[in-house]
Amino acid sequence: MSLTIFSVAVLFTSVGAGAVGSILGLGGGILLVPILTIFYGVDLHYAMGASIISVIATSSGAASYLRTGLSNLRIGLFLVLATISGALVGALLAGVVPVRALELILGLALSYSAFTTVRQLHDELPERLSEDRFALRFDLEGRYHDLRLGREVAYRAQRVAPGFVAMFGAGVLSGMLGIGSGAFKVLAMDYLMRLPMKVSTATSNFMIGLTAAATAGIYWSRGDINVLIAAPVAIGVLAGAYLGTMLMARMRNTTVRKLFLPIVVYLALSMILRGLGIHLR
Amino acid sequence: MSAGTGPSVERLVARTLLAGGLIGMALILVGGAFYAVHGGFHHHAVHLSRPPLGSPAGVFTSLRQVLDGLRRRPMDPLALTALGLVALMATPIIAVALAVPAFLRAGDRRYATIAAIVLTMLVVSLAVAGGIH
Repeated sequence: MSLTIFSVAVLFTSVGAGAVGSILGLGGGILLVPILTIFYGVDLHYAMGASIISVIATSSGAASYLRTGLSNLRIGLFLVLATISGALVGALLAGVVPVRALELILGLALSYSAFTTVRQLHDELPERLSEDRFALRFDLEGRYHDLRLGREVAYRAQRVAPGFVAMFGAGVLSGMLGIGSGAFKVLAMDYLMRLPMKVSTATSNFMIGLTAAATAGIYWSRGDINVLIAAPVAIGVLAGAYLGTMLMARMRNTTVRKLFLPIVVYLALSMILRGLGIHLR
Repeated sequence: MSAGTGPSVERLVARTLLAGGLIGMALILVGGAFYAVHGGFHHHAVHLSRPPLGSPAGVFTSLRQVLDGLRRRPMDPLALTALGLVALMATPIIAVALAVPAFLRAGDRRYATIAAIVLTMLVVSLAVAGGIH
């Protein structure tokens, strides 16, 4: 393929991935890796290198969430403590724990999350503010102006301790299995901690940028980041993320959750298949 | 919001992330433009698969390689693009680093500490990885 056509095609694909990634708090890797490898025939290593760049680009492109209060800096930093330490532990455990059993367990856990997501599909906002001890102690609360509902929304995290443990677990799994953990972060914040869905995905956007920056060095020094592939991805995803943040601010929480559901189902299936020894990619 | 600190730290972190993204984008685009002017887009097909040995055009594995590419005459335009990617990768870490003193100024010692721990873990995992030398 000529470099010109390739760059332009990848650029436009990445705008879409960046927009979706910034709305759903996923960073676009979950979409980009299969697209780059299957449709463009890019080597898996280069695709993963480009994907880590896309995660950081989404996080940077979605920075305006922090200003509007949709992304919560304190909640993000508090939870990223759990995720990064989990990822470090996971990297140490890699090779010790049987991967396929893990993938199977993860797939089943995700199937359960998909089920619970369906059950709360129509909850726009959590009904009341929590009185969680840790949430009060660590200021895990905030407010944002919801453009769709046309009013201020105040929120405070519930069940912080299980949420923190789930984040640690997500970190361990992502470190061990080499998968992004954006979807788990969103699930933990939405389902366990009962934050508004839009706050969950926006805060996840901030967090995945940090964890991706920590691992980008590995990809870089292994030679997995090819400028000719990663550059159009970075530009496209940045543009897409600027666009996505504008779109999401005007969406309903329930809309975001509906868009998120197929991702959880896809992840659950692919993890179960991987656990059974079948690789989709 | 919390303990009267207001959203100033948030604004600083948001601004840093945004600026890093824009600087990275600019470097990537300028590098790409130079590359186009030098006929890069005509001469090369993309190497979509990874060669078992050596680095193909477009792969930099250290900061030194990037700097060497920038110093070369004529300059390697892809090194400029790579510098843009490095700027992008460094952005979230710089944002957290700036958040530490900002939380302190806002009187939030607890979150200054949390941000400092996060920063330390980020740097440690970069260093463990061999990172960008």
